[in-house]
Amino acid sequence: MTHLDTDVLAEFRAGLITRRRGARIAAHLAGCARCTALDDQLAGVCSLLAAVPVPAMPDSLAQRLDAVLAAEVAQRGMTQGDQAERADGDGTAESPAPRRPGGDRGFRLLTLRVLAPAAAVVLLTAGGYGLSRIGLGSSTESAASTSAGRAAQAAPTAAPTAAASAKSGAHANARAAGPTKRAVPQGITPAIVVRISHRNFSHAGFEQQVQAELRVPSGSLATQAASPQVRGCVQQVAGTYRVQRVESVRYDGSPATLIVARTGADDTAWIAAPDCSATHSHVLDTTSLP
Amino acid sequence: MPDDGSPADHELLRRHVAGDAEAFGELFRRHRDRLWAVALRTLCDPEEAADALQDAMVSAFRRAADFRGESAVTTWLHRIVVNASLDRLRRRAARPALSTGDEQAFEALVAQDGDPARASDTKLDVDAALGLLAPQQRAALVLVDMLGFSVADAAAILDTSPGTVKSRCARARARLLPHLAHLQGNRSASESVSPAQGGDT
Repeated sequence: MTHLDTDVLAEFRAGLITRRRGARIAAHLAGCARCTALDDQLAGVCSLLAAVPVPAMPDSLAQRLDAVLAAEVAQRGMTQGDQAERADGDGTAESPAPRRPGGDRGFRLLTLRVLAPAAAVVLLTAGGYGLSRIGLGSSTESAASTSAGRAAQAAPTAAPTAAASAKSGAHANARAAGPTKRAVPQGITPAIVVRISHRNFSHAGFEQQVQAELRVPSGSLATQAASPQVRGCVQQVAGTYRVQRVESVRYDGSPATLIVARTGADDTAWIAAPDCSATHSHVLDTTSLP
Repeated sequence: MPDDGSPADHELLRRHVAGDAEAFGELFRRHRDRLWAVALRTLCDPEEAADALQDAMVSAFRRAADFRGESAVTTWLHRIVVNASLDRLRRRAARPALSTGDEQAFEALVAQDGDPARASDTKLDVDAALGLLAPQQRAALVLVDMLGFSVADAAAILDTSPGTVKSRCARARARLLPHLAHLQGNRSASESVSPAQGGDT
């Protein structure tokens, strides 16, 4: 028998060799100093690997993960708070907000908003997620949208029915807004996760900068829950469009918020100034992203 | 179950699913050093490993309700971390395995352990050698040889058979041997390895 090669010995040691062939290998090892030495070295690889200490997590990473976890807990708390408030508020049967594994579920929960020019309210569910609450409109809304909200509230768990009843009184223009628009009274603010990016954007090459940023997997960025002001700003800027991503960035060296939303076939990115809010849509730059 | 009367892993997970805001943090902190080690050794890159661990943690947080208890909670957590790590490896497949920057980062990491220089050398050599392995081999080797998981547990984490785990470990050890032999002290055998590597003579 020729000498054993390392792979065969490693398989032998791992118990992967058939008994008959294994017996031949054992017999060879018994009489061959070279292969025995190789076998010892393979055993040494295992003990060497076992002796490498488990690295302690660096403090900076531990702190970062704690912050991300705190944001997750806060986001979950907000979601549950919304549900509790709904259950308390109008006493109607509610379907719980869907839990979407592994995604930015905050964005998808209820990105719904009043369209409300005149008496027009189109009310549709989107993407299979039940529209679980139509509350009364805020004081700034028209009486028409408020009454539409009441009409929908009569059948809150049967979204298609609610949509139909709301549509029956809808203005033709609102109908033309199309089925991708979703309507909801103001006052329901979806939880939004803000990703922390360190990229500095500028007007020259803005589109390319955004494209580059969007290639960074969102999961690789630290997160925080959006402040009420930022949530208001996102709603003001993105309107009824589905928000894809919100990041805390810099623009010309100053803090700013990057908002990306699906606007029809394309996406649109906006840079919002720090003073942007629900009542003040202050956009510093924008681009469409094919 | 921990000896000190603190809640078992599955109890913490149950509390988390029930809405307890602290339970997941306690569970994750309990295991995070080993989870970090899995990500770091599998990815051979501290920054990528940190990102993978973060992805995995968020995923586990959100998907905790999906845990059905067929395996231990630690197995489930490790599986999520390994999958997040292997996903990252697939995504960066076109990029080189180790850059100078990574090695510097490794040095920064190992320097934390207050070391004799020799120990650092060993760890750097092991880290570099691990980078030579195919990802699946490396993941199996890290779990079994470096973190002491049983073959059965490693198979559960990697979602494969025990035989496959054994085979991956065997190939990985054989591949590492020439790169680690010099760390095993001056055994008389070390000189005889080289000819044997060249094939049967």
